[in-house]
Amino acid sequence: MAERVSDLAGALVAEALRRGFEEAAALVWRSKSVMVKMFNSEISVVQRWSSLTVSLYLAKEGRIMVSTIHPSSIEKAGAIVERAVKVASQLKPSMLYAPLPEPAKVEPLPGLADKSVIDAMSEPEPLAEAMLSEADSLGVERAAGAITLSLSERGLATSKGVKLEEEATGVEAYLRAFIGEASGQWAVGSRRLRPEELRRVARTAAELASQAKGEAKHVEPGTYDVVLSPMVVGNLMNLVGMMAGALAVMMGNSIFARVQPGSKVAAEKFTLVDDPRTSELLGSTAFDDEGLPTASKPIIEGGVLRTLLHNSKTAAKMQAKSTGNAGWIYPHAWTLSVKPGDATLDEMIREVKRGVVITNNWYTRLQNYVEGIFSTIARDAAFYVENGEIKHPVTRIRIADRLPKLLSNIELLGKELYDISWWEVSPAVRAPYILARQINISRPFE
Amino acid sequence: MHEDLLQRCVDEALKLGASYAEARFHRHIGSSMFTRNGELIGYGESIREGVGIRVIVNGALGFSASNSLSWESLREAVAEAVKLARSHAKLMKRPVELADARLGKAKYEALCLKPLDSMGPEEKIAVLAEIWERVKGAVKEAKVMTLTANYSEDVEEKTVVNSDGALVVSRVPRVTVGYNFVLLHPQKGTLQRRFEFGGSGGLEQLGRWKPAEHAEEEAVRLEKVLLGGVEPPKEPVDVIVGSEIVGLIVHESCGHPSEADRILGREAAQAGMSFIKPGMLGQRIGSEHATVIDDPTIPGSYGFYLYDDEGVPARARYLYKNGVINEHLHNRWTAKLFGVESNAAARAMDHNSEPIIRMANTYFAPGDHTFEELVEDVKLGVYMRSYMEWNIDDIRWGQRYVGLEAYLIENGELTKPVRNPALEITTGAFYSKVDAAGKELRFYPGSCGKGEPMQGVPVWFGGPDVRLRNVKLGVVA
Repeated sequence: MAERVSDLAGALVAEALRRGFEEAAALVWRSKSVMVKMFNSEISVVQRWSSLTVSLYLAKEGRIMVSTIHPSSIEKAGAIVERAVKVASQLKPSMLYAPLPEPAKVEPLPGLADKSVIDAMSEPEPLAEAMLSEADSLGVERAAGAITLSLSERGLATSKGVKLEEEATGVEAYLRAFIGEASGQWAVGSRRLRPEELRRVARTAAELASQAKGEAKHVEPGTYDVVLSPMVVGNLMNLVGMMAGALAVMMGNSIFARVQPGSKVAAEKFTLVDDPRTSELLGSTAFDDEGLPTASKPIIEGGVLRTLLHNSKTAAKMQAKSTGNAGWIYPHAWTLSVKPGDATLDEMIREVKRGVVITNNWYTRLQNYVEGIFSTIARDAAFYVENGEIKHPVTRIRIADRLPKLLSNIELLGKELYDISWWEVSPAVRAPYILARQINISRPFE
Repeated sequence: MHEDLLQRCVDEALKLGASYAEARFHRHIGSSMFTRNGELIGYGESIREGVGIRVIVNGALGFSASNSLSWESLREAVAEAVKLARSHAKLMKRPVELADARLGKAKYEALCLKPLDSMGPEEKIAVLAEIWERVKGAVKEAKVMTLTANYSEDVEEKTVVNSDGALVVSRVPRVTVGYNFVLLHPQKGTLQRRFEFGGSGGLEQLGRWKPAEHAEEEAVRLEKVLLGGVEPPKEPVDVIVGSEIVGLIVHESCGHPSEADRILGREAAQAGMSFIKPGMLGQRIGSEHATVIDDPTIPGSYGFYLYDDEGVPARARYLYKNGVINEHLHNRWTAKLFGVESNAAARAMDHNSEPIIRMANTYFAPGDHTFEELVEDVKLGVYMRSYMEWNIDDIRWGQRYVGLEAYLIENGELTKPVRNPALEITTGAFYSKVDAAGKELRFYPGSCGKGEPMQGVPVWFGGPDVRLRNVKLGVVA
């Protein structure tokens, strides 16, 4: 039987202390995953990985080092400690240094591992076939996508006496369906495998592609009301979640760099939660990389910035408390949830006098992180709405505006939530549709 | 040292029924450090190594990887790849086949004139600290709100063996230095700049880059943009697109759409597709000045290689030639489907990744104009020297670049700074409107993302300054 990952981590911590480091932490992941990639409605490749990953945090006299290795054996991971001894003496103390925290009680999070994921890993092709045939049955000409199933053990030990481990499974599936030039895409991410959810992904992608049939027209640049799907909300919330990391704030990569917790940063209806304690969400976990318990808590609540995301180091630097979001260096969100509203998608569309529905997006980039000046490109089905009705598909549009304005102009949130994870949404986000007023839309010069 | 082991993997796969097998030992050893306002935040090291196995069985592709180098683990990985391929072979409508290719038996390395270990971490951190010192002292009215700087180095070693006879051993060291600063003025707000240097080779590159000097000069110029930048003209004007932006444009709107796997739809659900369809070779895409080349063999380049991960010898690829779609980027699979030879575009990020079609060093071919000549007959226009925000749609047709350092051109001279001009343009319009290119070719590094799982590979983007006639610029909201 394989050695427990927390024991492997503990051995590495002991080795680091023996070699003269004052503090050490080790994370060991042992994971298996399988991915089925599809295109032109067939499987293009099936890939399987089995890996061991080790991360080490080492500290001495305020000097800190982090090493990440994919060792060919656990003994090789020990060798990196030896190398670190030499390097550490050449470093200056880190401006971010704070001691690792004392152990705190961690309530295990039940339900992180789903046996049906583990069972499906040996033969994932039928899941892909089911998605493709669902799309096919709805008249899709071709479809592309991917399904990834994973099982990961994560073990943590620190020189403060922390020794923790947990096992978690993961499912990520997405499909892009095409009918002529029209396309629709949808995705799901979860700790649990529900084959009906995968079929729903295929069905939604196919239905969107079907709705987007017909001549897609341009809309003139200007301000429009925008109805954003959970796919789009997920992508933009990744950005907000990243910017809530305290180190991102310190590094000038955040719209929160010039505001304090307690400030109004979004519409009153808007609440965004870092949600690691909801076990079915991909990314959920009971403990952070310093061994502190995680907590589901609002980053923005009722439009007000409640907290940045901290590890012990950023917390010490900013006179705050750790929020259980370590990263030894970078604190980060685990998984995000947007609080639902009470609207249906149809009700949102009926509220729009002149606007667009954007069902998917990609390539979000910023001109200025502090101001939140950004643009993102609508992809797949998008529609022009006039006087509460969808008029026609639209093509080649961007949202080009300021993130704080978009957050402030949210007017309605959908009552139904979707768990989204794909190429452009990671970490996973549980999100509804939203309606935001008067957002700038641009299009290219021909 | 791994050759025998890899050959054994290939033989085992053939024995198990594979018609093609490839085993690649792939190792990255790297370190990185980053600072904020001149002070060290953290130092990191990373080692990734293992073997990636790719096979074709009954016309289907299987891939597996192991980071254990024991024969027991590798044999298991081979069996797994064969099993994966065999199990979905029955679902294949069109079997995967590879084009014939002349494969290499070779060993090469990118030279380090000044080895990576010839400077200790302390000296490398000092390079970053100097960037802060110089930028801090460069601005007069604005404040540097924050400046982070990073250094990283990586040595990539590979041995590729396949059942068609390739045996290629390579070693490529790479170095990057980057910075990110925010200038703040109480009335004018903020302006943010990110920039990176990168190439293959050793620490001799630091002497060429002079990162602190570069950052200082940029800060001086960008403060003027922050304090006095005006809106770009609303009517269509001539635009001189700076080399830094031209490099990115050709990467996004020529290199990516020229990837043959994307043209076939293999990346449709991730990195997207291409406006280029099979059969479009020979079609006009731009003016006679528009020639775009992707060349992995440029010495010192960030995307340097001499053989791809299928063992095919690399060469320069003329993707657009004098305004005409001339050649796509191929691996052996797409080459077979297109009835051509592979031009060596198969690259894998690491041992865990399947080789897919990638760019290397993509650049707009230089012309014959000096910068002064480009500017002198522009009555009213904008020169966009650098950018922050950019993106492009997934067929690589509609793209947007927002200028950071930019200037108004009036009667043949640069006059006032311009704030955030947005060049949002179709690929066809961009290449068609080029009427002159500068003679000075410059390159910029990047990590290009593609694939599932996402693979980031080092590339250079390059080009001279180019001039576009009569383009409408947008204004940032």
